[in-house]
Amino acid sequence: MTQAEIKLCSLLLQEHFGEIVEKIGVHLIRTGSQPLRVIAHDTGTSLDQVKKALCVLIQHNLVTYQVHKRGVVEYEAQCSRVLRMLRYPRYIYTTKTLYSDTGELIVEELLLNGKLTMSAVIKKVADRLTETMEDGKTMDYAEVSSTFVRLADTHFVQRCPLVATTESSDPGLPPPAPTLVINEKDMYLVPKLSLIGKGKRRRSSDEDAAGEPKAKRPKHTADNKEPIPDDGIYWQANLDRFHQHFRDQAIVSAVANRMDQTSSEIVRTMLRMSEITTSSSAPFTQPLSSNEIFRSLPVGYNISKQVLDQYLTLLADDPLEFVGKSGDSGGGMYVINLHKALACLATATLESVVQERFGSRCARIFRLVLQKKHLEQKQVEDFAMIPAKEAKDMLYKMLSENFISLQEIPKTPDHAPSRTFYLYTVNILSAARMLLHRCYKSIANLIERRQFETKESKRLLEKSQRVEAIIASMQATGAEEAQLQEIEEMITAPERQQLETLKRNVNKLDASEIQVDETIFLLESYIESTMKRQ
Amino acid sequence: MASRGGGRGRGRGQLTFNMEAVGIGKGDALPPPTLQPSPLFPPLEFRPVPLPSGEEGEYVLALKQELRGAMRQLPYFIRPAVPKRDWRRLPRELKIRVRKLQKERITILLPKRPPKTTEDKEETIQKLETLEKKEEEVTSEEDEEKEEEEEKEEEEEEEYDEEEHEEETDYIMSYFDNGEDFGGDSDDNMDEAIY
Repeated sequence: MTQAEIKLCSLLLQEHFGEIVEKIGVHLIRTGSQPLRVIAHDTGTSLDQVKKALCVLIQHNLVTYQVHKRGVVEYEAQCSRVLRMLRYPRYIYTTKTLYSDTGELIVEELLLNGKLTMSAVIKKVADRLTETMEDGKTMDYAEVSSTFVRLADTHFVQRCPLVATTESSDPGLPPPAPTLVINEKDMYLVPKLSLIGKGKRRRSSDEDAAGEPKAKRPKHTADNKEPIPDDGIYWQANLDRFHQHFRDQAIVSAVANRMDQTSSEIVRTMLRMSEITTSSSAPFTQPLSSNEIFRSLPVGYNISKQVLDQYLTLLADDPLEFVGKSGDSGGGMYVINLHKALACLATATLESVVQERFGSRCARIFRLVLQKKHLEQKQVEDFAMIPAKEAKDMLYKMLSENFISLQEIPKTPDHAPSRTFYLYTVNILSAARMLLHRCYKSIANLIERRQFETKESKRLLEKSQRVEAIIASMQATGAEEAQLQEIEEMITAPERQQLETLKRNVNKLDASEIQVDETIFLLESYIESTMKRQ
Repeated sequence: MASRGGGRGRGRGQLTFNMEAVGIGKGDALPPPTLQPSPLFPPLEFRPVPLPSGEEGEYVLALKQELRGAMRQLPYFIRPAVPKRDWRRLPRELKIRVRKLQKERITILLPKRPPKTTEDKEETIQKLETLEKKEEEVTSEEDEEKEEEEEKEEEEEEEYDEEEHEEETDYIMSYFDNGEDFGGDSDDNMDEAIY
C-alpha cells in the first residue's frame, strides 16, 4: 500500500465513519493482519472503541477476519475496497439508469448499510418510496421485491457468505469466530419470501391499522414474535458486476467515437450476449457467430445480414483490434478483445494527460514513441518534424515526469556510455501505474481542500442552517411575509456572497473527484487485466 | 589516492558519457542553476479541461453530497466519546449507568455482533425517529423515557448518547428547533455518562 493510497483511505474513512473507525482502519491497512488486543494496544484506544470500530468495518465489508491456531482471530483490512467508496454515487446512478428509482434505492441502501437481509431492504425502500409519493399512495412490497429479484438475476446484488453449519459435533467451546462459506450456485438465489405489505410513512397516523404493530418503541418485541423468514441470509452489492458494466460502457462509447452508432450497437449486443458466459477477468469473450449476433440485435435495428457482416469485417480490421475474427463457421466467429480494449483505453488516457499537461507537440512526440516503440533522440526530431532544441526539451520534461523512459542498449560489454544506444520508449504498464498513483494523490488533495474550505466558513454555514430551520418552522406555523423577510435579512449580502462562492467551490471540487475516479477506474482495470495475464 | 580530495584534481568537470549523445552540444547554454526548491504550486501552462456538466454530472454530484450527509447520520458513524467525569465530585444520581450492564456488554459484544448488528442498527434508527418526534416535549419527560429505554436495551444507548454529546458540529439537534431558544438549547442531557 503506497502512502498516497493510505492517505486517501484515511480521508475516506474519516469522512464517512468518523475518527475512531479511521484510526483503526488505517492502522490495519498499514500493519496488515492483527488480533484484537494488539490493535487496541498499538493504537492506544480503549477495547470498547476498537470493538465498535471493527464491527462497523466488518459490516461494510472493509475488514475480514480469520481464525488462526490457538483460537486467535486476526483482522485484515482491504485497502482497495475502501477506495471503492469513492465510486458509490456512480454505482447508484448506474442502477437508476437500468432499473429506475426502485433499483436505485435498493442499491443505495445496500451500499450505505454494507449488508442487509432481503426483507429489511424491501421494507426500507418501500418506506422511502412512500415518503416521496403523494398523500394516500403507498408503495407495495411486491413491486420492490420484483425489482430486487431482477437485480439478483443480473448479478448486481449477491449473497454474502453464510455461516457454515458444521455437522461435526465439536465438544467444548464453539469456535471464536464463524467461518463463512458461499457456494457459487447459491450466490444469486433469492429466498422465497411472502412479503405482503406496503410502505409506511414516517409521521402518518393513519397507518396504524389494527393488528399491525406500531413502528415505535416496542419494535424489537415485534421482531421476536414474528421470526424473520430469511434470517441469516444477507445481501451485498456486487461491485465486480458494476465494474464489468462500466467497462462495457467504456468500450461501447469508444467504438461509437471512433466509428459510428451502428457499430457501437453491434459491439454492445456482443458484450450483452457474453455477459453471463464470460468471466469478468477473461482476456476475450467467447466467440460469437455472425448469425447469433444478427438474431440478438435489438428489435429497432433492422440492418440486413450483409450490412452486419460488413460492419463486423470493418471492426475486425480496425487497427485498434477491439474485435477479432476467430473463425469462419456460422458466418464468421467474432470475439471482443477485452484486454486489448482496456489497453487502448489506458493508452488513450495517457495520451490525453500528456496533451493537456504539456501541449499538443509533446503529445505528438509521445504518440510517435508509442507507435515506434523505441526511438533515438535524433530519430524523434526527424519523425516528429520538431526542431531539435524543442524536441529535446519536451522529451526531458516527459522523462522527468516518468511518462517516457530510457532504454540502454550497450554496444560493448563494458557498457561505456559513449558507446551505448539510449532509446526512448514508453512502458505503458509503468506509466499507467505512475498515473494511478498521481490520481490517488489528486483525490486526496481535492478532499483536503474541500474540508479546508468548509472549515473556513463553518460559522457562516451553521448560521445559515439555523436561519433556514427557523424559516422552515415559521412557515409551517404560518408566519407573515414581513417576519420571514426579517429573518432572511439576518444573513447579510456579503455573507450570502461568501456562501455562494463556497457552494460553487465545493461543487467544483466534488465534480473533480468524480472525474478523477473515472480515470482511476480505467487505469485500475487495465493494470488488473495485465497482471492476470502474467 | 591522487584522485580523491573532493575531485579537485585533473579530470574535474569531465562526464562519463559523451554529452553530444544526449543532445547538449558544445557551447550550448545550459539552463540556469536552480537555487531553491520548486514552488509549491508550479505555474499552470495550460488551463485544465472544463468538468463535465449536464444532467448526469449534476445528478451524480448531488447524489455524492447527499450520500456524504446521509452517512454521517447513520449509526455507523462513531463519534469520539465524552471524556470521563470524576464521579466523586458530582451527585450520584446523575450517573445513570449501572456497573452490571457494562460487564455483560463487553463479553457478549463481539461474537454476537455480526448477525445481530443489522437488527441493532434498525432499532437504533427506529429509536432515533421516535425520539425526534418527541423533541418538542418537556425535557424532564424525555429524561424519564430515556431511563425507561435504557433499562430495556444495552448497547444502543451508547450510540444515542454520543449523538447528543457530539463535540463536533452536527446539525440534527438544532435543526428541529422552533427558534425560540436560539442559543442555549443544546445543554440538555449533557451530563449523562457514556458508560
